[in-house]
Amino acid sequence: MTAPTRTPAPYRSALHPARAGFGRLMRAEWTKFWTVRAWLLVLGMAAVVVVGISQMGASGSVTGGGPPIVLGPGGEVVNDSFRFTHRSLTGDGTLTVRVTGLKSNDGEALEPWAKAGIIVKSSLKQGSAYAAVVATPGHGVRMQWDFTHDTAGPSSDLGKAPQWLRLKRLGGKLTGYASVDGEKWTQLGEVGVGGLGRTVQVGLLLGTPDHEVVQRSFGGTSARSGRTTVTGTFDHLTLQGTSTGAGWTSTDIGAAGADDPNAGNVPPNTTQVSPTGTYTLTGQGDIAPQENSPDLVQMGFQGVFVGLLFMTALGTLFVSTEYKRGLIRTTFTATPSRLKVLAAKATVIAAITFTTGLLATAVGFTWAQRTLRSNGFKPPEFPDLSLLENPSLRAVVGSAALLSLVAVLALSIGVVLRNSAGTIATVVVLVVLPQILSFAFPLPAAQWLLRVTPAAAFAIEQGKKYYPQVQHNCLPENGCYPLTPYNGLAVLVAYTLAALLLAAWTVRRRDA
Amino acid sequence: MWDVPLASLSMSDASIEVRDLRKRFGRTLAVDGLSFRVEPGTVTGFVGPNGAGKSTTMRSLLGLDTPDEGRALIGGRPYHALRTPLLEVGALLDAAALHPARRGRDHLRWLANSHGLPMRRVDEVLEQVGMEQAARRRAGGYSLGMRQRLGIAAALLGDPAVLLLDEPVNGLDPEGIQWIRALLRHLATEGRAILVSSHLMSELEDTADHLVVIGRGRLIADTAVADLLAAASGDRVRLRTSSRTEAMELLAREGGTVAVVDRDLLTVTGLPAERVVELLSVSRVPFAEVGAHRASLEEAYMELTRDAVEFTSTPAGTDEVNR
Repeated sequence: MTAPTRTPAPYRSALHPARAGFGRLMRAEWTKFWTVRAWLLVLGMAAVVVVGISQMGASGSVTGGGPPIVLGPGGEVVNDSFRFTHRSLTGDGTLTVRVTGLKSNDGEALEPWAKAGIIVKSSLKQGSAYAAVVATPGHGVRMQWDFTHDTAGPSSDLGKAPQWLRLKRLGGKLTGYASVDGEKWTQLGEVGVGGLGRTVQVGLLLGTPDHEVVQRSFGGTSARSGRTTVTGTFDHLTLQGTSTGAGWTSTDIGAAGADDPNAGNVPPNTTQVSPTGTYTLTGQGDIAPQENSPDLVQMGFQGVFVGLLFMTALGTLFVSTEYKRGLIRTTFTATPSRLKVLAAKATVIAAITFTTGLLATAVGFTWAQRTLRSNGFKPPEFPDLSLLENPSLRAVVGSAALLSLVAVLALSIGVVLRNSAGTIATVVVLVVLPQILSFAFPLPAAQWLLRVTPAAAFAIEQGKKYYPQVQHNCLPENGCYPLTPYNGLAVLVAYTLAALLLAAWTVRRRDA
Repeated sequence: MWDVPLASLSMSDASIEVRDLRKRFGRTLAVDGLSFRVEPGTVTGFVGPNGAGKSTTMRSLLGLDTPDEGRALIGGRPYHALRTPLLEVGALLDAAALHPARRGRDHLRWLANSHGLPMRRVDEVLEQVGMEQAARRRAGGYSLGMRQRLGIAAALLGDPAVLLLDEPVNGLDPEGIQWIRALLRHLATEGRAILVSSHLMSELEDTADHLVVIGRGRLIADTAVADLLAAASGDRVRLRTSSRTEAMELLAREGGTVAVVDRDLLTVTGLPAERVVELLSVSRVPFAEVGAHRASLEEAYMELTRDAVEFTSTPAGTDEVNR
């Protein structure tokens, strides 16, 4: 090998050697994004779709003319119609009873949340404040108050042994007890109940939720709910304290003639007292929160489901076009650290989709609420929802996060598969398909799908509270997700992180 | 900030070095123990037929492919160790690697952003490659020649001391070929180390000072162009004659080896020019021209590779398999 004919000094550039930091890398990726006009267009379409479809969904939902509603002390819609054998109590006092049996009159199994027990209630008016101690067939002894609160007590089986219950009133403070023998008592809870006057109504409570039968098949769900009738037997009923009036009387709370002339037609329930002091109550109705009203928050996000398809496309194309054109090599030549490239790409696409998504969900939600309002979804049944308060705020921000996470998921899968069609198909199978299948599958399978797939994240749009003390068939077609909002979103976060890790592993390992 | 002279560049040495490089793709051994070095101030032609391992070597130098064995170093360091790669190495791998919807200028813009280079620098390199106007259009509508020019602009963006250009002449028109030759020569005289690959030796004529010839992933020659031409020219004599058959018979009889180049052109080895003239004159065989033969680079290359490798040539196109 001969030496070159000329040996000039090695070249020295006059350019300032700027350090290629992560901020610059993100700026480069942002430049890549905005310089492709089609991507800006897709982003804009995603926003339009989220707002537009949410609006269309809201316009199509109308309410009005339903049965009158009952509001609990907290303003929530409640069921408050049950068989009440009561007398008044002025001042402090203690009510004790032994529940000896609870059985169904329909020949069917008892509802797990049927209840027989004692109650201290502000008045006979529906929705008034109360505290109760009850024995249930499926959930043991419970202390419940003001509809939305529920505390578990000891387990109990009325079929095998009677259950002693006690409720002590001291001003606004109510303490519940349970006992197997009437001698040794276990305290269940001590709660403050607001709005109790000096004179309250105390006595025996008998209630049972409606029996719901749900039949699901592809394309349709039929839910029948029928009233159930139960009979409860009590003895050893004692009240210590000052009571005015003749003694024990019975009222069907919520029945015609009680308070509200329009209340549901409760058939004549009965209370019989035997000479030995055994009270036999037969009745229908329940005292519990009501979950039948539609989820107004969720109704403002119907466009998110479609908008996420656009975000999927963006996340995918942002990386797959680079592989398709060989541009990824230029990218890795400019930034040899592939993990940094992946991190910058993920951050940039997450920021872009989150910002756009947030704008779209905030506008879409606000507009949808206004439309729903004019379509009859009004207070008091549907209180005004403020965008800056939960659950609205959580649903708006969470839906934007959902859109953004899906884009990052798509980007990560795109790095692994390096191909647009396969990536988009994978994301659709993971996120969209479970949602659709959940409408068709048997309920346990449907709920399983909505727990273990990223579709669980749609729970973040739920504004309605599902109470554990209410038996409900969590039907996907009714917008019910088996996981709580944050847990649902966490499932998507977990999938996205897993995909990012897989992407990081493959992008480092493979030749570009 | 722009014109501040540099006290020290992070790079100690503007050179390219490949040492015992080996890379296998499945059952194919793409690069098999390759070693060579490109010095500053030279244009080194990197030549070999399609599939010889040129692109794999270049990708290894750029940290895109991980070698199974050996090292590929820029300025004595692996590519991953470069803090500001675009300011140290300019690379053109595949001119088609552009997003069709992105304007040429925006393609350079994101590259500039990644290293904090100002847009002024983008416009400078666009002017240097004659793409000021075209860069305002989307890359999807570019001809292959325009893509090559944009790719070269991208390589020059960081004003690097090392350039790796994979088939940069591909697709250029004759004017473009002249332009890139002059550009590469100019860049070399500034002291840059330039590696230019090609599967056609003729493209490197008048451009390369040095040649690295490979076939089937192995080094065939690592030589200065001048030395290669001298060796290939040998002691051949060019003879132009209208009586080709007579001349061939006569010279062969007298111990010469005669090869036909053209209808009236022969090359003779084994006989000095004076002896050829004498023999032809005595036998009254007419001839128009006798002189020492000067080999073309292409011929020298063919000679070099004839015994060293067996390969079947594929139609001209991009180098190697597009993986």
